[in-house]
Order: sequence, then C-alpha cells, then structure tokens
Amino acid sequence: MKIIDILERIDRRIIYLVLLIVVVLPLIFPSVQSVRVMPPVEKFFNAVDKIPEEKALIMDFDYTPQDMPELEPMGIALLRHAFKKRIKVLALSLYVQPLGLAQRALTQVTEEFNSIAKTNADSVIYGRDYVFLGWQVGPILAMLSMGESITNFYRVDYYGNQTDTLPLMKLIKNYSNVGLVAALSPSDIPKYWVAYAQNRFGINVGAGVTSVSASEFYPYLQTGQFSGLMIGMKGAAEYEEMVESNLKVKGRRKASESLPSITYAHLLIIAFIVIGNISYFIKRRQK
Amino acid sequence: MKRTFPLFLLFVFGILGIIPFIIPHPVVQNTDDFLRNNLLKILAAFALILGLGSLLRVHFDKIKRKRQNWEYSWVLIITFVITSIIGLFGGVTGEGILPTRIGSFSFDIWTIYFNIEVPLGATMFALLAFFMASAAYRAFRARSSEATLLLVSAFVIMIGVLPLGESISHRLPSFTQWIMDVPNVAAQRGILFGVALGMLATALKIILGIERSWLGGGGE
Repeated sequence: MKIIDILERIDRRIIYLVLLIVVVLPLIFPSVQSVRVMPPVEKFFNAVDKIPEEKALIMDFDYTPQDMPELEPMGIALLRHAFKKRIKVLALSLYVQPLGLAQRALTQVTEEFNSIAKTNADSVIYGRDYVFLGWQVGPILAMLSMGESITNFYRVDYYGNQTDTLPLMKLIKNYSNVGLVAALSPSDIPKYWVAYAQNRFGINVGAGVTSVSASEFYPYLQTGQFSGLMIGMKGAAEYEEMVESNLKVKGRRKASESLPSITYAHLLIIAFIVIGNISYFIKRRQK
Repeated sequence: MKRTFPLFLLFVFGILGIIPFIIPHPVVQNTDDFLRNNLLKILAAFALILGLGSLLRVHFDKIKRKRQNWEYSWVLIITFVITSIIGLFGGVTGEGILPTRIGSFSFDIWTIYFNIEVPLGATMFALLAFFMASAAYRAFRARSSEATLLLVSAFVIMIGVLPLGESISHRLPSFTQWIMDVPNVAAQRGILFGVALGMLATALKIILGIERSWLGGGGE
C-alpha cells in the first residue's frame, strides 16, 4: 500500500488515541499559559470593576456538567474579582441542574478568601457579602420579576432562609440596585437577559458562553447590549489573567492550565485536516 | 367550546404579556407582577408535573410495545424512582427522614449528582472532541472555492484564538477578532433579523388563532 493510501485512510482509533495523548498529557503535567487579553473580556472586567459600592452583581450560573470545564473557571474568576473588590453578589440558577455547580463555585471562592482573612471585615460572609437565591420555576419569570422585587420572587434562598431577613437583601431590592448581570450559560439565556431584563428595566448584561456558540453573541456585544463577553476556555483564561495581574488575587487558574491541552488538540486537528486534504489532492491529480 | 376556550385564553394572556412592555402605568405593571408571581409560578409547577408524567408514560408505553431499545426505558424509570425517593425523603445533603448513609457510604442527592451526573455529563460532551477530530479529517476537504474559504478562515480562527497565534504574529489575534467582529456579525445579524421576524409572525398567528397546531388533534 502506498503512503498516500495510508494517509487517506487513517483508522479512527489511531486518531482517537493520538488525540487522547495530546489532551491528557498537558493536564497531567499542568503549566499556566499566559494569554493576551482581548477587548470583549477587558470590557467585561471593566464592567464588573465599575459596579458602584451600593450596587450588586447578579451571577447567573447556568452551566451544566457538560459545559462546566469552559464556564466554571469564568464563574470562579468573576467571584474572585467581586469578593476582592467587595462587590455584593447575588447568585442564582435559572435551571435546576446547575445548582450544585453554582454552590461548589461559591463555596470554593468563599473558602479561598476566608482562609486568608484576618478580620471579620476581610471575610466573605453569607447574607452580608453574598446570597445564593437558588432556583425558582420559570427562567423568564425570574428575569422579569426581579425587576419589581427580588425578595418577592425569591421568598426563600437556596438554604431555606427568608430572603427579606438577610442583611444584603435589605439593600438590594430590584434591578435599580444591581450594577450588572453576569450570565454564564451554554444556551440562549444571555440573550433572554437582554430581551426581558435589559429592554424593560435597563440592566447591564455580561455573558460567558461556550466557544461553540460564541459567534451568535457577537452582534449583542457590538451594539453594546452586552457589557462584555467571555468565550470558552480562552475567555476564562483571559479573565483569570486580569484578576491575577490587576487585583493580585492568587488561586488555581484552571482555564489557563487547560490552554496547552486545547492548543495541542487544535493543532492536531489542523494537522489531520491538512493530511486529509493533501491525500485528497494527490488522488484527484492521479485520476 | 373545547377549542374556543383555549384560543380565547391564549389571546387574552398573549396580549397581557405584550402590554407591560409598552405601557408603564402602575396598574398594568402591578397586574403583570401579580400574574407572574402568582398565577404563572403555579402554572409552571403544574407543567413540571405534567412533563414528568408524560416522560413516564412514553417510557412505559415503549416497554409495553417492546420498541427498539426498550430495555433502557427501565433504566430511566428505575433511576427516576430511586432519585425521586432519595430527593423527596432523604433531602439534598442527607438531612431528610430517609437515612442516606450506610457506614462511610452516602447516597444523598448531592453525592449522586457529583459522582454520577457530573462525570457522566462531562464524559458525554468530551466524546464530541474525538468525533469532531475524526469527522474533520474525513470530511473537511477544499473541494470548492467556498469550502477553501471556510477551511482557511477556520484555520485562522483556530490558531488565532490560541496563545500560539500571538507567538506566530501579534497581529493574528487582532485579525481573528476582526473576522468575528465584522464578517461574522454581518452574517449573524442577518440571521437574527430573519429569525426575529419569523418569531413575530408565528407569535401573532398563534395569538390571533390562525395557527392552531399547538391544540393538537390534527385539525377540526
């Protein structure tokens, strides 16, 4: 068999095996890869940074285990940013499945800050610095109802506390007390935030989305309907970079650690496409 | 009456859904607030029960008729029943009346979620990378000028978004960003306008009772 025939018919099991090696090796020996921060992420960072002291950041955790590798590092980086700048956080999930992942991110970042806190004022305290509203039925209902009254829609928080008894919720009544909504979602949810919450109540929206769905969100960024956009693992790594370099917040940077793996996987796929095309053109010329 | 009443309800609530976006009067806003916080929440809860009931009915029917892969329906039903019992009586983290711990082995909802659902979900999605690599090798050919353009732009985007792009040329990430900001947005905006107009037309047809397929039953 000629070499060109071999190149044209590489067994898919070989492709799977090579890809597995290329993806797994950089994860076994992780190294943080620094990235250039692009304008969409820089805008997002600045939008969070400019949230006034009296206003809160709504963090909508809508990622599921399927999209967790891309979107969870965004959530963690955003929480680090918010807690470092003492921005009040209202966390919620518009679907049931992401609740556990949202709680995990909140617990992780809270513990990071509390482990180095020296005073009560430095600590991140539930009810004072952040509230986890949990889930209520109907994503669009939640978006619309929070414009009128957050505690009226979320009468109890994720842990079963009456929301109107929490100190933070006495300050944050509705969207007029919210600086930005950060929607981390693999679906159309960030667009819904624009359609329902922004159009009607004028709230600012930032989106964290998966790479595969990114292209459809760019028009919203260009019009200014999105205050910023984070795309996939690279977007998360850029935000991690900004949080570490601008705010000096240290912590594990999962997205930045995963970039070498993604880089090699992309290169491998490109190499396979090139090989496929070379063999295709040679065969065509022979015919 | 069987058809007229749902159509009447749909018309009234369809119009009520649009009005608060246009009229900011407190009476309109308070009515809308009442509808959302009270009526719609209850309706959505019923829809949830209806959905679960429908899911079970479909799978029991599949088992009864021994349709293709009917055995997997048992997996769904059994896991549905077990997780429902644990969730309803054992609590999320094992605080309920049903014991969810045997020695050091716990099986509360969170344990099930983090040890079964999270790894299974992540695995399913991770498999895509392997199929995509294989499919790209076999099917991504520069057969025409359009396909070549697609291929080249895909390469530029793939390399440009990676840190490697910066190492090749510091202009490559900016060029990649331009592709996403200009040609991509132009195409996406066209699609968005089309979809929005289509949605508007469909919504109006449904609200005005012209489109009735949602009622089911295959017509009058």
